[in-house]
Amino acid sequence: MKTILRAKNIQKVYGTKGNQYKALEDIDLEIKEGEFIGIMGPSGAGKSTLLNILSTIDTPTSGEIIIADQNIVTMKEEQLSDFRRNNLGFIFQDYNLLDTLTVKENILLPLALSKVPAKEIENRVKEIADTFGIQEILDKYPYHISGGQKQRTAASRAMVTKPSLILADEPTGALDSKSATDLLESLTALNELNHSTIMMVTHDAFAASFCKRILFIKDGGIYAQIQKMQNSRQEFFQKIMDVLASLGGGH
Amino acid sequence: MTLFSIARKNIRKNFTNYFLYIGSMIFSIVIYFTFVSLKYDQTIQETTESSNKISSVFNGASIVLMIFVAVFIWYSNSFFIKKRKKEVGLYSLLGVRKKQIGRMLFYENFIMGIIALLIGIILGSILSKLFVSILMEVMGYHAIGNFTIPLQAILNTIIVFIIITAITSIHGYRLIYRFKLIELFKAEQEGEKEPKSSIITALISVLLVGVGYWLALQNIFESEVWRKMGFLITLLVILVTVILGTYLLFSTLTVYLLKVLRKNKHHFWSGINLISTSQLLYRIKGNARTLTIIAVLSATTLTAVGAAYSFYYNNSSSAETSNPNSMMFIAKDKNVSKQIRERISRDKNHTIVYHMAVPTIMMDVDITNLHSNNLPNEMEYSIIGNKTFNQLAKWQKRDESLSLKGNEAAALEAGYSEGFSPKYIGATISLKVNDKSEKITFKKLKKYNVLNTPTAGITVVISDELFSKIASRTNIVDMEVYELKNEDDAKTLTKEIQTLLPKEASFSSFYSDYARGMESTGLLIFIGGFLGLVFLAATGSIIYFKQLTEATLDKDRYVILYKIGVNKKEVKKSISKQILFIFALPLLAGMAHSIVALITLSKIMQTNLMIPVSICIGIYVCIYIAYYFLTVRNYYKIIIK
Repeated sequence: MKTILRAKNIQKVYGTKGNQYKALEDIDLEIKEGEFIGIMGPSGAGKSTLLNILSTIDTPTSGEIIIADQNIVTMKEEQLSDFRRNNLGFIFQDYNLLDTLTVKENILLPLALSKVPAKEIENRVKEIADTFGIQEILDKYPYHISGGQKQRTAASRAMVTKPSLILADEPTGALDSKSATDLLESLTALNELNHSTIMMVTHDAFAASFCKRILFIKDGGIYAQIQKMQNSRQEFFQKIMDVLASLGGGH
Repeated sequence: MTLFSIARKNIRKNFTNYFLYIGSMIFSIVIYFTFVSLKYDQTIQETTESSNKISSVFNGASIVLMIFVAVFIWYSNSFFIKKRKKEVGLYSLLGVRKKQIGRMLFYENFIMGIIALLIGIILGSILSKLFVSILMEVMGYHAIGNFTIPLQAILNTIIVFIIITAITSIHGYRLIYRFKLIELFKAEQEGEKEPKSSIITALISVLLVGVGYWLALQNIFESEVWRKMGFLITLLVILVTVILGTYLLFSTLTVYLLKVLRKNKHHFWSGINLISTSQLLYRIKGNARTLTIIAVLSATTLTAVGAAYSFYYNNSSSAETSNPNSMMFIAKDKNVSKQIRERISRDKNHTIVYHMAVPTIMMDVDITNLHSNNLPNEMEYSIIGNKTFNQLAKWQKRDESLSLKGNEAAALEAGYSEGFSPKYIGATISLKVNDKSEKITFKKLKKYNVLNTPTAGITVVISDELFSKIASRTNIVDMEVYELKNEDDAKTLTKEIQTLLPKEASFSSFYSDYARGMESTGLLIFIGGFLGLVFLAATGSIIYFKQLTEATLDKDRYVILYKIGVNKKEVKKSISKQILFIFALPLLAGMAHSIVALITLSKIMQTNLMIPVSICIGIYVCIYIAYYFLTVRNYYKIIIK
């Protein structure tokens, strides 16, 4: 399998000399094509910092990150924007939909930005809307739809460009359990059928149990790693709970 | 810690936030104070001969300015208060009593008002000195006296602004009582709905503006509509249709057009267009009222300044039109004429270009045949012969000559205006001399005169045979005409000659008309320019404030876009496009309105206002563009931060 992401010795230090705080310390990480990887850990462990760095919104203090064969650490501002647009997809906890655009326009926004022809846009939107079951609400505005629908819209927007890597930041954080399950099932389906590569940061062991592999982070370093292998989701959930218990601290 | 000291601390700690508000107050005070101190200024009142007229013009303008300044301060005050709702909510949440918060806001506003008043008066004192010299310059007076700040001006300004400050302070005091706590926190996140539009209202807007324009462009003297509705009613109808039309234009037509644009997938689904178009669509309806106000303000400013500048610009040529000769008078006394000739010959600065004693017959003529509604039945005409006309026309560098035969005649009317003046050509009138009458028929009409209109009035040229025939039977008067070098600064010469002549001589001179014109049009342009600048600054600031408020609201959207992978260049492009729309719409509408108004004006005045109006619009647009770039820059800064 092809490697989508390779990160080596990532460090992130905040503060100035004498009063330094290491948010991330020597993180090594590899994500292969078609993986569905979860990142867990207690509050303040560095999950969000790691996600921000991998999503090119923040820069590491040192280390090397290669995504889709491109070194993102040395890229300039302009290149990074293009890189995000072409290679990454984002799903955020608070959806981040534009309320001035309809659901459909929100989904096609990244395609429009890349100047994909209108006809092609039409096809791709239809395809992704089918996957997430949101054909009915395409012409509605974000303030007219439920949280679950909003998050599926956001997921559609993240997927529509067929990015190399999809980064999800607590995607189920604001959803009720039914909507959360629906969303996670859709993500799993995309992962299995389309071989989309997904990296998800979450607090929630239930959400994490949909992943194939989980990294646990504590105090800026990788603490443990577990694989789902042939386990059922129930068993995997139990395993996650065990690790979390050994991690200690609030999560 | 007393409430007063909390309020004082608030101002000191958040000075940047307060800066804009205080700035706009200071601006208003400086403008008002400068204007009022000019009104009471001794130098101005002494130097101008028509000080009565000047002070009434100043009075009127200062009332306009006062209303405007009050509205402007009110506007910036509401803008400022809106920004602070959250802070006020926080105090309330922490348990400060409503009454205390209210008092705090009151003190705060009052302190700022007093500070602004002090700074404003000091700055105004410095600036008014500058303005006096500008005013003197444009009015054609070169002597600048000692300028002192009149005490009345200070008192007047203090009273006016204390009242305004008190009102805004009470408004601030009531803020906490007007809203629920939850509303204070949600101040800036009221939901926006997609605006509705219908093709019908869109068409109505175009229709309304069209009707207004059509009415304005009618020939006022001949139009049936104007006659039937009456002058004032028609004016009112024009104002209402145009303003209402503009409002609907902004609130529905633009929405409609944007929606049409949105349906065009190839355009809409391409790059950043998706963002800018939909942002606009959302914002435009809430902005329609502001845009209308700005369009109307721009139109008023441009029309007023354009008209004032046109009068000023055309002053020299209109003095020339009514006085083609530098000086002219009816010679009744040979000695006086000789004295005058000697006096003029002595003057080295004003050498004689030509001089002539024009033989003229002055006669009351029955003009009922001319069928004019606006004129009496009898008028005094100055009649000259064909040869005399040709000579004068040649001297005055007109490439025209007449060759009238028998009973043919030509009318010379410098102030000719279509619709108002009679239709001369083809009409026959009779000249009565000692019970005998000679019929003459007008063959030609010239819209200028070779004699000075103030002395000669309407002039009729007749054939030389007829002239000598009539001349043998009546008295001929000599009209002396002089053309001098440097006629526009012949102040002393003109004055001296005037004292030599009796009133019956009907002395007229280019200089006195020119100087009088300079004085009144200079005043017009000064006041017009002054108010124009103030309005311009205000319209610019209104858009600027409004856009920056929106920038804070739009910030989240741009953060999302940034995460999705929109680069800074594209963000800037989108912002520029969006703001351009907001700036350009009212400017274009205002320009169109003012051009229509000025076309009407130029028809009434019978002059071409093309050049002065273009200059005015040009300057206006330049300053406006500067505002645009300033807004884009700061909007972008807020977004990127």
